[in-house]
Amino acid sequence: MATKTKKQPDTSLPMPEEQLQHVLYLLKLTRYFDERMEALYRQGRLPGAIYSGRGQEGTHVGVVMPLRPDDSLFPTHRDLTAQIAKGLDLKRVMAQFWGRIDGYTRGRDGNSHIGDWQGNRTFTVMSHLPIAYPVACGAALAYQRAGDDRVALAICGDGATSNGRWHEALNTSAVYRLPVVWVVNNNQFAYSTPNRLEFPVPTVAERGAAYGMPGVRVDGGDVLAVYEAARAAVDRARAGEGPSLIESVSLRWRGHAGHDPANYMPDELLERYMAEHDPVKNFETWMREHGLVDDDSLAELQARIEREFDEGYEFALASPFPEPGDAFKGNWTDDGYWASEPGRGGGTEY
Amino acid sequence: MASTTVEAGAAGHGAEPRGKRTDDGQATYLIAIAEALWEEMERDERVYLLGEDIGAYGGAFKVTEGFLDRFGPERVMDTPIVEETIVGMAAGSAMEGLRPVAEFQYADFMSSGYDEITTVLSRYHYRSGVPMPVVLRGPSGGGVRASSFHSTNPEPWVAHAGGIKVVCPAFPGDAKGLLKSAVRDDNPVLYLEHKWIYRRIKEHVSEDPDLLVPIGEARVRRQGDDVSIITYGAMVHRALEAAAALEERGTSVEVVDLRTVYPYDEDAVLRSIEKTSHALVLSESYRYAGIGAEVAATIAEKAFEHLDAPVERLSPPNLPVPFSPPLEDAFLPQVADIEAAVDRLSAW
Repeated sequence: MATKTKKQPDTSLPMPEEQLQHVLYLLKLTRYFDERMEALYRQGRLPGAIYSGRGQEGTHVGVVMPLRPDDSLFPTHRDLTAQIAKGLDLKRVMAQFWGRIDGYTRGRDGNSHIGDWQGNRTFTVMSHLPIAYPVACGAALAYQRAGDDRVALAICGDGATSNGRWHEALNTSAVYRLPVVWVVNNNQFAYSTPNRLEFPVPTVAERGAAYGMPGVRVDGGDVLAVYEAARAAVDRARAGEGPSLIESVSLRWRGHAGHDPANYMPDELLERYMAEHDPVKNFETWMREHGLVDDDSLAELQARIEREFDEGYEFALASPFPEPGDAFKGNWTDDGYWASEPGRGGGTEY
Repeated sequence: MASTTVEAGAAGHGAEPRGKRTDDGQATYLIAIAEALWEEMERDERVYLLGEDIGAYGGAFKVTEGFLDRFGPERVMDTPIVEETIVGMAAGSAMEGLRPVAEFQYADFMSSGYDEITTVLSRYHYRSGVPMPVVLRGPSGGGVRASSFHSTNPEPWVAHAGGIKVVCPAFPGDAKGLLKSAVRDDNPVLYLEHKWIYRRIKEHVSEDPDLLVPIGEARVRRQGDDVSIITYGAMVHRALEAAAALEERGTSVEVVDLRTVYPYDEDAVLRSIEKTSHALVLSESYRYAGIGAEVAATIAEKAFEHLDAPVERLSPPNLPVPFSPPLEDAFLPQVADIEAAVDRLSAW
């Protein structure tokens, strides 16, 4: 973490300075990761697929910041940044991309179809959206029944709100007043399909009223605004007051996946979002304006990030492939295959 | 059983009480299932039920009658009509340490929860190592004049997904012991109870709360020497009826009740074929790519040198189950069909 001259705690800040520095680290790390991984993909050095979350880091980091290590996260393939914010180890993330045994799925899945339930309480991503929404209801049900104050937070995109399960899950969570936060990462395109072909109402947030839950819409380019909305929703869930809906608006800067040039994306829209709603740049500016970073600390932070990426890349390529016979193990609990799972992540303390 | 009478309330919409064991300890299949659930809920407070109309109403077939009063609404959860969410919620709560038993009002409605079943339940452990101790229950099968959407045998749909065990008990004792094993299993289990059997078949059932029937073990229900019938579910009872009639005509039939259809007891099947050298594979699920197709293929592959005749299959075509009695009776294998198939095999 970047260090600065020690000073008195500033109570006017939205969160302790150490956490703000961590937010900046996460935003810049995941932006750098996304760009480097795309470059490796284009060079033919990365097998499989990539699903860039660039431009949406404010949503991903902002919603995870209020979560504790024992809260659970139910993300999509677009939300790797949120999983890294929850505490996933970059080395094991990269081993996953290269199909290695040290990846979180031990080579059974690739790219951002990742999760670390045992360690960081993140659901292993599935492609059928929003398939994890009903599962988040179940985790929240378990917290409610245990009488503790844990919270489940689930993310899906704007397109997934059209699916019947989105309605089922919101409705059911409200019927039982489950401690769950529903996040819609509205990046305005579902693959190539724009919002106007996904839903006939102006905002996703206003749909909260149909389920008797608060619905708020925030600028995903402003990580602190996202954080404030998420904190209120998480607090509400912890207090037993039921579910909330957050629509965080951004733009998907890259194609749906690495192969997609996104020719359907209007240039002026992309340019405007990159100029005005870049969550990484905006937060860096905010930190500068509050005297929390300077050129030296930013250079130090950047060097740390690049070093961590390089270490992750080396770790991934040095990690062995699974044995071919592993393909036939670990379907049932009884064969012991998963008992030897290498070291779990410990969760990140904020 | 092959008669063309329409049985009033046969589809289960009668709301008649579940009933009790007889004085000498006989229990219907319905009672045996209820006892298994009750005892497992008494044994382990992590076990809870969720589904449609299972609370105050006691379930469409009265399996959970009285459960709400004993265990309360937290453990006997009435849900909205949300099949995807019933399965997903079961999965998520299992990931956090609970042991849910989700009821589908009819096994047919599993198709409304299919994605959560085949994508989450079936594949999550393989990809993550996280146990998924979920039981899905559903009344399956035909022969009760309940037509296309209340008579389905979905066992091949789910067996094919690969990560969910599928059990189909035929007798009350097996129904009880297999359900208890399913609840205690750390893997997802689809438990298909056959609605034709519910109130028709009764037998003495052990009152030992820890008497389990292992998942994956077949049971020879009738010993015989000439022809083996490999079957499961309600068809076991038709096979036994046919076997009794064939015995009188001098053909000795062995009836193997698979009890678990995925993964099934291959050794028990092969042992029987080695003994009789004639195989009739009888199933109520569809013929094409069905459970019977898999069993028949395995016999052909692994017991070829023991066979004196081609493996014969008897199962319905891949069509909706029709309502009108003559249509449904033509559709489902009947005792006379089984006898004729055994006669064909014996003639080789």
